[in-house]
Amino acid sequence: MADAASRPEGSRGLFWTTLVIVYAAIMLFPIFWMASMMVKPNDAMFARPTQWLFVPTLDHFSYVIEQGFHWSLLTSFVLCTVSTALVVIIGTPAAYAFARFEMKGKDDLFLFILGSRMAPPVCLVIPFYLIYARVGLLDSFLGLTLAYMTFNLSFYVWVLRSFCRDLPVELEEAAALEGWSKVQIFRRVVFPLLRNGIVATSVLCFIFAWNEFLFAFMLGGKAVTTLPVSIPKLITSQGVRWGEMAVVGMTALIPVLAVVFVLQRHIVRGLTLGAVKG
Amino acid sequence: MRKIWCFAAALAATTALTVPMVVSSAQPVLAQDAGFYAKAGAPYKGTTIRVLDEITPLQETLSKIVPDFEKETGIKVEWELLNHFEVINKGQADMLSGRGHYDAIMLHGAQLGPMLSAGVIMPLDKFVADPKLSDPGLNAADFIQAPYKTTAFSDGKQYGFINWNYNHVYWARADLLNNPEEKAAFKAKYGYELAPAKTIEQMRDIAEFFTRKKGSTLAGQPLTSDFYGIVLEGIKGGSTFSNLWVNFIENYGGDLLDKDGKPTFDSPQTVAALKMWRELWTFAPPGIAEYSLVDVPTVMGNGIAAQSLAWSDFVLGIDKPGVSPYAGKFVYAPIPAKAGNEAHRHADAEPSVTVISAASKNPEPTFLFLQWLADKKQQDKLIEIGQGGVPIRESSWAAPAITGSTNPTLFAAMKSSLDVATARPKMEKYPEMFDAMSGIAQQVGLGKMTPEQGAKEGQAILVKLCGGKSCTL
Amino acid sequence: MASASETMTAAGPQGAGMRERAWYPYLLIAPSMITLVVVSLAPFIYAIYLSFHEAKFGRVRDFVGFDNYMTLLTDERFWNSIGVATTFVFIAVPIEFMLGLIGALVLNQNVRGRSILIPLLFMPTMMAPIVVGLLWKIMLAGSWGFFSYNVLERFNILGETSIFASPDLALYALIFVDIWQWTPFMMLAFFAGLQALPLGPYRAAAVDGANPVQMFFHITLPMMTPLLAVIGLLRFIDAFKVFDTIYILTNGGPGISTETPSILANKMTFEFWNIGEASALAVLVWIAFFAFCSIFYQVAKKRLNAF
Repeated sequence: MADAASRPEGSRGLFWTTLVIVYAAIMLFPIFWMASMMVKPNDAMFARPTQWLFVPTLDHFSYVIEQGFHWSLLTSFVLCTVSTALVVIIGTPAAYAFARFEMKGKDDLFLFILGSRMAPPVCLVIPFYLIYARVGLLDSFLGLTLAYMTFNLSFYVWVLRSFCRDLPVELEEAAALEGWSKVQIFRRVVFPLLRNGIVATSVLCFIFAWNEFLFAFMLGGKAVTTLPVSIPKLITSQGVRWGEMAVVGMTALIPVLAVVFVLQRHIVRGLTLGAVKG
Repeated sequence: MRKIWCFAAALAATTALTVPMVVSSAQPVLAQDAGFYAKAGAPYKGTTIRVLDEITPLQETLSKIVPDFEKETGIKVEWELLNHFEVINKGQADMLSGRGHYDAIMLHGAQLGPMLSAGVIMPLDKFVADPKLSDPGLNAADFIQAPYKTTAFSDGKQYGFINWNYNHVYWARADLLNNPEEKAAFKAKYGYELAPAKTIEQMRDIAEFFTRKKGSTLAGQPLTSDFYGIVLEGIKGGSTFSNLWVNFIENYGGDLLDKDGKPTFDSPQTVAALKMWRELWTFAPPGIAEYSLVDVPTVMGNGIAAQSLAWSDFVLGIDKPGVSPYAGKFVYAPIPAKAGNEAHRHADAEPSVTVISAASKNPEPTFLFLQWLADKKQQDKLIEIGQGGVPIRESSWAAPAITGSTNPTLFAAMKSSLDVATARPKMEKYPEMFDAMSGIAQQVGLGKMTPEQGAKEGQAILVKLCGGKSCTL
Repeated sequence: MASASETMTAAGPQGAGMRERAWYPYLLIAPSMITLVVVSLAPFIYAIYLSFHEAKFGRVRDFVGFDNYMTLLTDERFWNSIGVATTFVFIAVPIEFMLGLIGALVLNQNVRGRSILIPLLFMPTMMAPIVVGLLWKIMLAGSWGFFSYNVLERFNILGETSIFASPDLALYALIFVDIWQWTPFMMLAFFAGLQALPLGPYRAAAVDGANPVQMFFHITLPMMTPLLAVIGLLRFIDAFKVFDTIYILTNGGPGISTETPSILANKMTFEFWNIGEASALAVLVWIAFFAFCSIFYQVAKKRLNAF
């Protein structure tokens, strides 16, 4: 604080900081409220008048574990990691190619990629279901991994292309003159420069996949149940199990929050989506 | 302690003795052939069948019994429970796509129309006729007949037994209805005794009487927030419309379809029922248009409304110590009739049946399982473990868990509803019809549309959907 | 598609030192293209096929030509859904955009503890939409929702109705939820953009005596335009398709006042099983989007140097 006060803009900084904190407090209140429901006993949940103080309980956690929700967490985690990794492996060279090379019909190809993201998922899910039912991909890991590529691969290629375009071509040329192979150039020159972009874009892809509901619901099943799909199981005839729902909802948030927290430097740089010329 | 135990044992013994006697009047007593399922299941030993059902307290109880089937027959059952909406989505998707992942799927009565017209349900007649598969001791005459006959059969073919007799009951706060001060005030205002409503008009009076603002008193206590006279389902979809249709319009003498299956929604009776519907909404919590069949019992359990019409199986989950602070303070009664039309009572019910998918690769063992579920032995166990439940057999009314229940009015109300319960007419376009009609129920309830307009518009929609023909199969 | 793979005439490399064989870029894009053809084009072509058939109940019956399209285009309900979605998008996205930009400018000031604040602020966007729906149900549900009870009811703001029960208010509540959920995304992306801006032009402007407002309009905004365009388009597409939150909060009700094409398509598919018509709806929405986006793409590419 002493350091801040010594500079002329120090008090200003305090003002802006307070402003952001107040804004965050208001915006995040609903989330805080939901988080408090994780340990709220059922009879205090929607008590009238609202109960602010209560004796915390761990009942909701034990129910969630009893019902095996941690398996859904694991499923979600593996599924989203694999699907995102595949997107990065397949998508990075494509994004690079779109940015670097002249190709015939490049614009058309690129619009095709954009177009893949446009159809409302509700409308694609039935064709998917009917095709999957025929080839036996329903309720399978592979099936969902593939389905997630519909929206993630196109997004990834689209965004990463902008990053690739900003890479200084001179470096690659210099490396080529040194006699490096293409693979070497890609690994040692292109990839390090692209890291922020890849991290930011793939984190977004991961979040999209992590939160996806409709595909996971219709194409998944007993064997592959992701975390969002497990939530409606808490709508029971004893009413909605709000406490448990809060537990699952907040649990779903934690891994993503952790990833964003750890990788935020890359993400903040990468969220420019390569569209700002720095 | 011992005395009570002896008494209970004696009671159980007498019931056990009287039940077969009651049944025997219908059909000669057959010794329960314990070995039938073991023998019939032998050729299918080791097969796995997959069955999809929905989660209610009833199925949760049944889950404890299902493993017995495997012990008895060696047929493995993968028993999957999903919530109401998921079962409809996934079950129908599975059947309609011909995937056949599930051998058997629970269908609500209303789903039968579209599924039958799509030809995706396997008729059971050839299995029923097969002495190797058909249990001679099943005693179908013991099933509660009206829901069974109207649900399991269509066009002379049998498609299932009967699995769940979901039904609506009238649900009220006994502590309020029995409060002396409230009783006196009610009598002074309306001129008759405050008691569970027998007619729709009484239900309206009670709703009006108990709708109170924050700060006024309720049963001697000051209210810290608004209190409401009634809560009904009002969401778009769900069973909002069937509640309006059966509990109100039919009790008023109107209907959705006439005898030939043609729309007859614009009758004066419908208009009168819609007027009552609108009026009741003014005594309901402001959120009524968002309330689903899950929310209504929750609202009752939270104690912010005096009465409701609700699904009785959901009551079983709410009226329990530890779930609702008002557990034990509720009273149940038959669905109120229209004053003057008591002889033609109607009560909303959704008898539901687990059917075999036409794409099933294991219809025989699946048939055995379904038959086994409907068998008296399993049904008795289900009622016993669930300390009640919703009977599908007449003889279950005499089960000790029901006769000795701490909640006798609930079972009396249930029985009264099931006495008149029938399945929905088998309509191919039921989803479109219900979607549109529940929109009208909402608009009329909210006062955005007059009852007359509602009746007229509803009729127009039905005529358009059915294309001038009969709406039923 | 086809024209692209026909002839691979010398696609000249950009730099002199990067002499490539013509097939090299195609090799790089091949895995992506093949995957997208399988997971995106194939289902879509199947949807087009279904849209020309009477595919009631998921069983394809007769070829019916444009019947499904005609039914749809003459259905008031379809146009209602387009209207609802248009209102939704054209109110929600500009507000998110403005708030996001303002938030980013604030965040770009001398704010301390950013490394903690940023992940926190980003939370609404990170949450699963289905959880967001439930969260706001807990807040806004009639009579038992936290906000409904503690604010609306206490001060008797809405009287006898509730937010989601009111045909006039429900849509605005959904718009509000969307704004809550997606403003942080806009804010962070714009903030990232601001952080990436070079300092040089600002120094020069400061020397010339420009004030912050002038700097914003003459330096910041022009340099940010490509990013604003990309993010705007992305949000536009996603807001039009929004499904989970509406499904949880109103499912299109009351009446059809919040029924977007996604909700309608969901009903046609999973309630009415009228797959043919639902597919026709999908194709129409897709064509409209595609036309819009290709125009946007061409314009943005030429004028803004975006993409």
